[in-house]
Amino acid sequence: MGLVKRAEHRAAPSRPHIRKYGRDLQGLLAQLHDDQAKARRWAARDLAAHTEAVSALCERLQVEPDPTVREAIFGSLLTIGTEAVAEGLIPLLRGEDAGLRNGAVEILQQLPDAVGHRIAALLADSDPDVRIFAVDILQDLAHPDAPAWMLAVVEADEHVNVVTTAIDRLAEVGTPEMVPAIQAVKDRFPNEPFVGFAVDTALKRILGNG
Amino acid sequence: MGHSGVARESVPEIRVTDAEFERFRDYFYRKTGIRFEDSKRYFVDKRLIQRMRQVGHEGFREYFAFVRFQASGKEFQELVNLMTVNETYFFREEYQLKCMVNALMGEVLHHKRSGETVRIWSVPCSTGEEPYSIALYLLEFWDRIDEVDVEIVASDIDTQALEKARAGVFSRRSVSHLPPWILKKYFEPLAGGYHRLCDDLRASVDFRRVNLCDPRDTRGMRDFDVIFCRNLLIYFDEASQRRAAETLYDALNPGGFVLLGHSESMSRITSLFKVRRFEDAIVYQKPL
Amino acid sequence: MGRALIVDDAVTVRMYHRQILEGAGFEVDEAENGVEALERALVVPYDLLLVDVNMPKMDGYTFLKEVRSTPELRAIPAIMISTEAERRDREQAYRAGANLYLVKPVRPEALALRATLMTARGESR
Repeated sequence: MGLVKRAEHRAAPSRPHIRKYGRDLQGLLAQLHDDQAKARRWAARDLAAHTEAVSALCERLQVEPDPTVREAIFGSLLTIGTEAVAEGLIPLLRGEDAGLRNGAVEILQQLPDAVGHRIAALLADSDPDVRIFAVDILQDLAHPDAPAWMLAVVEADEHVNVVTTAIDRLAEVGTPEMVPAIQAVKDRFPNEPFVGFAVDTALKRILGNG
Repeated sequence: MGHSGVARESVPEIRVTDAEFERFRDYFYRKTGIRFEDSKRYFVDKRLIQRMRQVGHEGFREYFAFVRFQASGKEFQELVNLMTVNETYFFREEYQLKCMVNALMGEVLHHKRSGETVRIWSVPCSTGEEPYSIALYLLEFWDRIDEVDVEIVASDIDTQALEKARAGVFSRRSVSHLPPWILKKYFEPLAGGYHRLCDDLRASVDFRRVNLCDPRDTRGMRDFDVIFCRNLLIYFDEASQRRAAETLYDALNPGGFVLLGHSESMSRITSLFKVRRFEDAIVYQKPL
Repeated sequence: MGRALIVDDAVTVRMYHRQILEGAGFEVDEAENGVEALERALVVPYDLLLVDVNMPKMDGYTFLKEVRSTPELRAIPAIMISTEAERRDREQAYRAGANLYLVKPVRPEALALRATLMTARGESR
C-alpha cells in the first residue's frame, strides 16, 4: 500500500476489449449506430480520419441523444473541415434543438473558407433566427469581409434582434467609417430602448476617447 | 510613461485608449474566460504594445483586426502566452492539492472495489514539480495512503523536461514554497542551493513522453481517477482544445476528476464534464 | 434586492441587463455561457438567474436543466430571455425550468419589475 513504484509491476493500463467492428470506414459507420454511447463516441472520434464520413456524421447528429457522442461528432467535423461539413451543418441552424444549433455555429465559425461564400445566403434568410446565427458565425469567422457583412446587416436588416446582434459584434470589430450607419439605426427603431443602448455602447467602443 | 529620452525618440509612441482596452478585455474574456481587472490595465497595455511593436503594427485598431481575423489564430496564442504567467514550482496552486486529499480521493475510493489502485495523471508535468507535489501531498496529508495503492503517471511532450524530472534535482526557487520540514525529510541539499529528491519518491512517479494531441500517444492513457491538467489547454487553439478535452474524458474512469489551472475554465472548451464545487476548488467530473 | 447572474454571450446585452437590474437594486455578475454560469452559481449564492437561450458550449435550456437538477441551485428563480420567435421557445423554456420567459429586447421597466417580484417572492418563502 502507498505509492506504487516505477519498478514494481504496474497494472496494465488498458483492459482488452472485444472488437465488434472493423476499424475501416464501413466498420466505423456501422459502429456509429451501436446501442452503446461509448462505442458510438469512439466511432465518431475515429471517423475524423475519413472525409467521406461527413454526411453520415451530420445525419447522426440529428438523431443522436447522447451529448458526449454529439460533442465527438462536432469535434470530428471540425477536424475534417471541408465544404461538405459546412453544407451538412447549416441545416441544423433551423432545427428545434438549441444544443445542435449552437454546436453548429461553433464549428462553422472555424471554417472561413467553406463558410465565406455561404454567408450572403444565410444573411438573406427569411427566418430572423437563422440571420442571427449567421451573425453569430461572423463573430468569430476569420474572414476579412466579416465586418463588412455585419455592417450590411446593420444597414438593411429589418429585425431588431438581428440588427442589435450585429451591432454587438461591431462593438468589437467596427471601424470609424461605420459610425454613421450604426448611428442611423436609432432612427429606424425609435421606440426600442435597447437599440439606443446598443448603438451608444458600440459607438463608445469604436470611437473611444482618443 | 511621459519620458521621451533621446534614445526613444525614433520609436513612435503607441498608446492603448480606454475604449480599446475595453474592446480587448471583452474579446479576451470571450475567448478565454479570463477577465482582466482595471488594476491589470498597465500590465495588459504593456504586453499589447510589445506585440504591436514586434509584429509591426503602429496602432491598436490595425493590430486588433490582425489578431481577430488571422486564420491560424497564432497571434492570439502569442497574446495568451504573454498575458498568462506559467511557471512551475512545488506546491503551486496548493488549494487543488488540498482538494485532492480532502475530497477527491474519498469520492474516488467510494466507487472502487477494495484493493483497487487509484490512478493519477499529471499532464503536462514539465520538470516534475507537479507530480512530485502530488506524491508528497498524498504521503503527508492523506490519512488513507497506507490502505490504498496510488499510481502516479506524469507526462510531457518535452523529453528534456522529462529527463530533468527523472533526475529530481531542483533549484532553490522551485522548492521555496515547500514547508521546511518536508524539504528536510524528502530532499538532500546539494551545492549551489539545489536539492535532490529522495530515490524512493523519484521512483513513485512514472514519467512518459506523451503528446496530448496525438491519438497514438494517448490511446494507452486509460483508467485514471484524477487528472491534473493545469495551464496547458489555454495555450491550445480551439480544435486542439476540443481534442484534448475528449482525450482527458476518455482517459478518466466514470466519476473521475480533472483539475485545470486557476485561470483556466472548461467553459470555453466543452460541456462534457460536470462542474463540481468542493470546499477548496472547482473541479470537473466525468459523469458516473 | 439580492444578487443576480446574467448569462448571455452578447456583451451589449449583458451590459444592458446589468444596468436595468442594478437600477432595481440588484448586485450583478455575468457569465458568457452555461458552463461558466454553473461555475459561478456553485460558488456565489444567487437570488436570480437571467438566462439567454443560444450560447456556445452550453445553451440556456441545458443550463437550466442542470440548475434544476443540482440540489444547491434548484430553487433559484430564473428568467429566460430569448431573441427567438416565441412559438418555439416558450414551452421549451418552461420545461427546462424557467419561471418566466421574456422575448428580447426587453422593456427595462418590465424586467426590473418582474425581477423584483420574483426575488421578493423567494424571500418570503
